[in-house]
Amino acid sequence: MRIWARVRALFRRRQLEKDLDEELAFHLAMREEKKRAAGVAAEEAKYAARRQFGNVTRIKEACREAWSFASLETTWRDLRYGARALAKNPGFTAVVVLATALGIGVNTGIFSVLNGVALKLLPVPSAEQIVSVDQIVHGKVRRDVHGEPGLFSYAEYKNYRANNHVFSGLLAYAPFLEATLGGENPKQLAGAEASCNFFHVLRERPALGRTFVEEDCRAAGARPVVVLSDALWRSQFGADPQIVGKDISLNRAKFTVIGVAAPGFRGIDPWPSEFWAPVAMQKALEPDANLLLEDYTGWLALLGRLQPGVSLKEVRADLAVIAGRIDQQYPGRTTTLAIHRATFMVRPEERRVVFGIGAVVLAAVGLVLLIACANVANLLLARASARQKEIAIRLSIGGSRWRIVRQLLTESLLIAFLGGTLGSMVALWSIEGIARFVLAHLPLVGPPLVWNVNPDLHVWGYSLALTAITGIVFGLVPALHATRQDLSTAVKGDGLGVIGRAASGGALRSTLVGVQIAVCMLLLIAAGLLMRGLFLAQTVDPGFEMKEITQAQFNLPSQGYNTEKAQAFQRELMASVDALPGVDEVEQAQVTPLSHAFLGTGMTPAGEVESRQFEFNAVSPGFFTMLGMPMVRGRTFTAAEAQSDAPVLVVTESTARKLWPGQDAIGKTLRGWEKKTYQVVGVVRDSQASHLGQTDGLFFYMPAGPKEQERQQLLVHSKGGDLATINGIREAARALDANLVVHVAKLEDNLEAWRVPSRIVAALSGVLGALALLLAAIGVHGVVSYGVSQRIREIGIRMTLGADGREVMSLLLRQAMRPVVIGAAIGIAGCAAVSQVLSKVLYGIGSHDPIAFVGVPVFLLGIALMASYIPARRATKVDPVVALRYE
Amino acid sequence: MEKQGDLVQGTLDMLVLKALVRGAKHGYAVAEWIHESSNDVLHVEEGALYPALHRLELRGLLSAEWGSSENNRRAKFYSLTAAGRKKLTEEAEYWRRMCGAIARVMQTA
Repeated sequence: MRIWARVRALFRRRQLEKDLDEELAFHLAMREEKKRAAGVAAEEAKYAARRQFGNVTRIKEACREAWSFASLETTWRDLRYGARALAKNPGFTAVVVLATALGIGVNTGIFSVLNGVALKLLPVPSAEQIVSVDQIVHGKVRRDVHGEPGLFSYAEYKNYRANNHVFSGLLAYAPFLEATLGGENPKQLAGAEASCNFFHVLRERPALGRTFVEEDCRAAGARPVVVLSDALWRSQFGADPQIVGKDISLNRAKFTVIGVAAPGFRGIDPWPSEFWAPVAMQKALEPDANLLLEDYTGWLALLGRLQPGVSLKEVRADLAVIAGRIDQQYPGRTTTLAIHRATFMVRPEERRVVFGIGAVVLAAVGLVLLIACANVANLLLARASARQKEIAIRLSIGGSRWRIVRQLLTESLLIAFLGGTLGSMVALWSIEGIARFVLAHLPLVGPPLVWNVNPDLHVWGYSLALTAITGIVFGLVPALHATRQDLSTAVKGDGLGVIGRAASGGALRSTLVGVQIAVCMLLLIAAGLLMRGLFLAQTVDPGFEMKEITQAQFNLPSQGYNTEKAQAFQRELMASVDALPGVDEVEQAQVTPLSHAFLGTGMTPAGEVESRQFEFNAVSPGFFTMLGMPMVRGRTFTAAEAQSDAPVLVVTESTARKLWPGQDAIGKTLRGWEKKTYQVVGVVRDSQASHLGQTDGLFFYMPAGPKEQERQQLLVHSKGGDLATINGIREAARALDANLVVHVAKLEDNLEAWRVPSRIVAALSGVLGALALLLAAIGVHGVVSYGVSQRIREIGIRMTLGADGREVMSLLLRQAMRPVVIGAAIGIAGCAAVSQVLSKVLYGIGSHDPIAFVGVPVFLLGIALMASYIPARRATKVDPVVALRYE
Repeated sequence: MEKQGDLVQGTLDMLVLKALVRGAKHGYAVAEWIHESSNDVLHVEEGALYPALHRLELRGLLSAEWGSSENNRRAKFYSLTAAGRKKLTEEAEYWRRMCGAIARVMQTA
């Protein structure tokens, strides 16, 4: 009602004014009449009435205020004034709006990616009710990990599901499952084993057929049924409308299709799932393990749907009770639970990586925005000094400082919103294309990610908040500075460029330039370090030979191979590959070098009590020769040792040094699983066969004996063309088993995956560095041009008095470069600190890379010098006569 | 915007509401009523009355209408709304308790 009265009042302004005048006039007239009636003289009565009434103007103002949205109207007036001021000065407006747009656009774009990757809720109905549950198991208890450490065993899942009081449903699924779809061309699929309430809890309805019912999970192995993803149904089954009821083969087991998921549903992992099978069918899909019965193996991720009105705090309390009860069954075990609203990247390991990278990237784009802010602040400051007289007059006739600050702030907010809107629009419009472009140009390291970078409320909110903060940050300092002035000088000042004026705001402007340069230096050196890191990563010598070697990877256990079948397969495959033209060597390894697969185990050196964690690989005797890894001491395995699963090991040089410093490692023993003792027969030179850029830690090789044949991969050295060898290996494998998916590639390709992170980071930091450089150059240029224009008369006087162009130039440059040099020094110091951190996070970054630390500063100083030289040269070209008359 | 809890202003609002209990009045009459009924003790600056009237009107405690005065001039007449009446009762009650309390405190001292 009140609001409406005011809104109406807005449109009836004139009428209200008239009414108010009339009402007050009536009062005065009545009072006057009364005074006259009491015998006061006419003239005197009028004044008396006025005296009694008070200050008419002020009272009118008070009445108007009651009617108006006073502050809103003031804001509106300020906005219009600001808009007019900006329109009058299009050059200035363009520069500040563009600088802001760049700063905010970059931030919004990056944030929308982070939001899409890590903050968005799952794409299922009422996703805000879905929470993820992860556990961290401490203590000395047997715990096997199948995937990630935060996962649950089937028994644990059933326990949480039966005993919680907070979920309307709790589902479990096994992420990281791969299976071979049988057929003409066997195809490797990513899928999930899911509890039978999976679709029910997620409230996902199938597009065809049905999803799971509890009967599908009643008994292990009983119901081989499968739900296909829409994408798989279309790509592999031609969108067959009769698909329900048909049989497909997954890892050589027959599954009956019962349904097709809705088109938008691609699972709840960052990569798309292509099928879902009941968790009870685990053994059929992974014949080498019976996970349903292994209470000590974590392999299931848990998601629950909250009952209405239940808070996360209640969930934590309720599940902690169950965790406590489980802990009692296993003495020595303590479990902590991590419970979060479910997003794509919610498991603790994923969160750590994503939030770590996110923090670094956001810090970097934040710095770019800071440069933009310093830039705009500087330009506003320059403009405010041009308006000094106007402001001084307003202040001296009693305008409140707050009122003027507020008006200047309104203007800067207007700039921020123009820039923010422009920047965010462009960023959000282009980010999806950019993300797709970047992903397409990365070497393929996995399935395409389910990224949805479309903006949502988070993104708009972030962008809006950032814009508002930006406007205040770059507006407040100039506004406060402009209104804190010596009135008498400013009012008297005739606006001429006198020497004294140059000092006004000069220190502040220099500081801002210094800040820009410092931040820019930081970004550029970091970018330089990253690019150098990338260069090093691409030229690094991993310590072994990769050229002319081809790798063939396959998963025999998942295809139902037992040890004997695997032995026969490996023997025949190696024989036929060996016979290929150009192939001169075929070796085996359980993991191929730098393939991002790692094997680990605990071993106890003789004479020690505690076991140590080792990485290891099982290889054939000729592995070391093929990869050019020479023996430093001792020998490689003999053929006899490899044939008999002999307990012998080859350790790396640094392992020998760490375990037996100053002693001969040959003949030393390690105690491993089942108390078996292994003897060291050789020491091999250190290499980076497991992690690029990192000499392998405690590492041993064991012979790829008959018992290990299920899990061996092939390494093939050939002199002929790579392509011929790759095709030859494929054909050979196909001839042996047409349904086996074999991944054949050059060993060198493994390097690519290691380079992806530094490549993304280097590209990103390169772009950000270029932006920062551009903004900083604009900033320096703007400040120097402003300084020149302010001091043109001084320059004229100097030149009239005999100074030549060179002296003036050197004076101007010296003054311009002082804050630049100081800022640069601070930036270098800051970066020395930051690079310590970076070198830990990213591969190949030396924290004191001379090229980055010398080259970048020289480059930046050069750019700054150029940015000041251009306007300074203009100053030396002025005609003294013109300069003296200037303004 | 009005300042809540301002004693003087709150009191002025209450006086204005009270002045209108017996029926519609224009601003001048309200001022006169306050003078007379307080035996000229309360000397409000008359102008201050108008922002108060407008504020009360906006808050829906008063309604206003243009009519003609006793000497046939156009004048804005204010009258109490139901909300205004209720507000007056509350204010009067509050005021009564306040005065009682202050009086007791002053006596004990």
